Amino acid sequence: MKNKNIKLIYSLFALLFLSSCEKELPTYFNFEGYEFASSEPDGGTWTPILINSGDEINIPAPEPANSASYLQEIEDLKVEMAQMSEADASAVTYWTQNPIIRWNEIALELIAKYNLIPGPNDDGSYTLPNPSNPNGSPAFPFAHPPYAVRALAYLSVAQFDGLISAWHHKLAFNRSAPFIEDESIQPAYSDNVNLSYPSDGAVLASVSRRILTQMFPLEAEYLAEREEEHLRSLLLSGANVQSDIDAGMLIGDAISSIALARAANDGMKNAQAPKAVSDSLAEAAQNSFGWKWVNVEIPKRPVGLTPLFSQVQMWSVDNVELTRPIPPPAIGSAEYEKDVAILQDHADNITEEKRRIVNFWQDGLGTYTPPGHWNEFAKEFIVKYRLNPLRSARTFAYLNMAMMDGGISCWDAKYYYHYPRPIQVIEGFKTIAGTPNFPAYTSGHSVFSAAGAEVLAYIFPQEASLVRGWALEAAISRVYGGIHWSFDATVGTDQGIDVAQYTISTAQNDGAD
Amino acid sequence: MKKYILLMPSRHQINLQKLLLSTINYCGPLTKISPNKSIYLFIIGLFISTRLQAQTPSDALMMKSNQLCILLDYNYSSFDHYWEGELRRNNETIAMVKRNSVMPMVAIGIFDDLNFYAGVPYIKTESTEPNGGKFAGASGFQDLSIALKYRWLNKQFEKGELSGLATIGFSTPITNYLPDYMPYSIGSGAPELSYRAIVEYKNIKDWYFRGAGTYLWRGYAEAERDYYYNNGSYYTPWMDVPNAFSTEFVVGKWLFSKSLQIQVSYFGSKSLSGDDIRPYNPAQPTNKVNIDRIGIFSHYFFANVTGLGIVVYHNRIVAGRNAPHMNTTGMGLTYYFNYRK
Repeated sequence: MKNKNIKLIYSLFALLFLSSCEKELPTYFNFEGYEFASSEPDGGTWTPILINSGDEINIPAPEPANSASYLQEIEDLKVEMAQMSEADASAVTYWTQNPIIRWNEIALELIAKYNLIPGPNDDGSYTLPNPSNPNGSPAFPFAHPPYAVRALAYLSVAQFDGLISAWHHKLAFNRSAPFIEDESIQPAYSDNVNLSYPSDGAVLASVSRRILTQMFPLEAEYLAEREEEHLRSLLLSGANVQSDIDAGMLIGDAISSIALARAANDGMKNAQAPKAVSDSLAEAAQNSFGWKWVNVEIPKRPVGLTPLFSQVQMWSVDNVELTRPIPPPAIGSAEYEKDVAILQDHADNITEEKRRIVNFWQDGLGTYTPPGHWNEFAKEFIVKYRLNPLRSARTFAYLNMAMMDGGISCWDAKYYYHYPRPIQVIEGFKTIAGTPNFPAYTSGHSVFSAAGAEVLAYIFPQEASLVRGWALEAAISRVYGGIHWSFDATVGTDQGIDVAQYTISTAQNDGAD
Repeated sequence: MKKYILLMPSRHQINLQKLLLSTINYCGPLTKISPNKSIYLFIIGLFISTRLQAQTPSDALMMKSNQLCILLDYNYSSFDHYWEGELRRNNETIAMVKRNSVMPMVAIGIFDDLNFYAGVPYIKTESTEPNGGKFAGASGFQDLSIALKYRWLNKQFEKGELSGLATIGFSTPITNYLPDYMPYSIGSGAPELSYRAIVEYKNIKDWYFRGAGTYLWRGYAEAERDYYYNNGSYYTPWMDVPNAFSTEFVVGKWLFSKSLQIQVSYFGSKSLSGDDIRPYNPAQPTNKVNIDRIGIFSHYFFANVTGLGIVVYHNRIVAGRNAPHMNTTGMGLTYYFNYRK
């Protein structure tokens, strides 16, 4: 008996040692380096977005390949590569030869980190984040969907323009990468851009750090660390010498200054209108249509989210009103009552499949928002179709331009029609998704998703029906969740498709097709 | 949803992986022994998850090899404040959250020194009106818990007796409830293994003093989204539910010829990892949840109906981190009988 007891105690202890080691869950997209599907010899002639052409940004001519200074750079590089630490090696693996993927992920992570709606103060008032006092509280920014899609658009557009300029100079100066110049250098990646001056990776590092630092000022130090790690990886991968990197950073600096100058005056700083302006928009809708949206939170928020986001400068549409949808059904009309019944039916008969759809597409507070979700899809297609850095940048740029224009158009409809949310007008109605702090019509998810899907369908035609199906599912998810009318979703989808055409026209004429 | 790039493993596969990984990558011996939870009082895992922890009506008492006990328990919990990290706050979006729970449980004496337990609660949650969020509550059967308790020490002294017990428990969700729907989620959504050691001393005046420690290994909860933030990005629906230690101390007394039992208890639980609830944001299964809770408990055996008893209890969380400031009141009926000769 005693023996048995001892055995049991021993086996209990053995089980106790199933300890709390952390398990591996993916914190970034883990993909193998790949061979680029194309090399883009004409990429330098493509039409950029913010500047007229890639040669508008100048960099000094590189030292010739046989110069003493270049040969010294090659020798220095070899010494550095020989002394690589384990951390260096894993950084090289992490950044890959298509590092725009990583900068996009960093942007999404910061969006998720800052996508926190300020809560009420003890006296029931609310304090807004303030860019001149970013520490808060609340901290700046509140990275809600309009903020997020705009940050992504400036990031991606500046990356794209910077790479067009880099491609122009690569072709013009025609300096081969170190691993071509010196065969003893083993490149880290299975494929690389063979012309190394200026470094396209350094353009991305510099642009991304600068744009994201402007958008997320509290992250300046973190972003500088990421930039430094990335720049070092460019060297250690054998793809660039220091002068390649320095030249890339010059381009990155120049194009991000241009992008940030546009951002400073695009109207975003006035988007979170004061209460008087916000109230006048509500009253205008009440007078024109006989209804207005009201925030029903406790305590009530005095102003909805970014009532004047509609006034922000669009990328591809001259006047937001060109994309304004038809009015929604009048409150109390037969069509409206039919929708009330639809929503009540969903609420009473929520299936596991509907619930999964609601949650999969929710992308609410604390997440990377719906535009972030579409960036994630784009990232996976970029790897699946083995896009090179320039085509990857082009994909993100048009995707985010179209989604930002979609958001601006959607916000125009939201505050022009000022349509109530279901919980405001259906007595006792409950939802399984969180109702946002802005009017219902049209659904942001629908517009963002349709616009994003159209751009992805244009760039990845093999995936067109798949991504358009996702956009429809994202749209209906809000109806299942009880926070949108079905016409918010259907009209919003059409609106997103319409707005995206403007950006796709630009894309079709940029010289890449 | 369409996972078009990653093939998703099943819940069983991924949790098995987690268990095996943590066995293989054994990180070092446990420096402390753990803790426990109380009888009848379900662990407050994440916000309002409840679990059976191999409770028996009287924890250090073993049922004889021919005995079977059925328990039907009901309890009500509520909170209108919670700890966001270490900040205690209220939130009118959820107003007061109420939880009703009904649990049938069976305890079987296999041998005099080995008992088996099984139970599964049905839970319903909702907010009081008015609230600013207008969220629907949740309801359903939560987790099936099974446990084996073994008595490895039972020593009589002149002035009392000392017993030592060990429990191994396992629980896992039996329905597809959504753990990523705080604070209405009915459970943490993750499988759990618990290893508990219990020591009790009872004196001849029928006072008893009990201490217990439990180590809780927890697997992954599955969310219905493929991205979440947990001090950084996670590109997966699987959320790592932190493992935990818990401790319990109990002082009680048997009265009226052992027909009435009364006790007071302290229960504390600490997650071994996890993140804090972010400002004005919902909790999520990855959170580090700590609680300190005190409780009273009573069990009365009717003299005129052999084997029938009634339990009544109340407990209050008095301190916490990423936890609800919650009070629970419950009662239950127990019925013992011999199921074999």
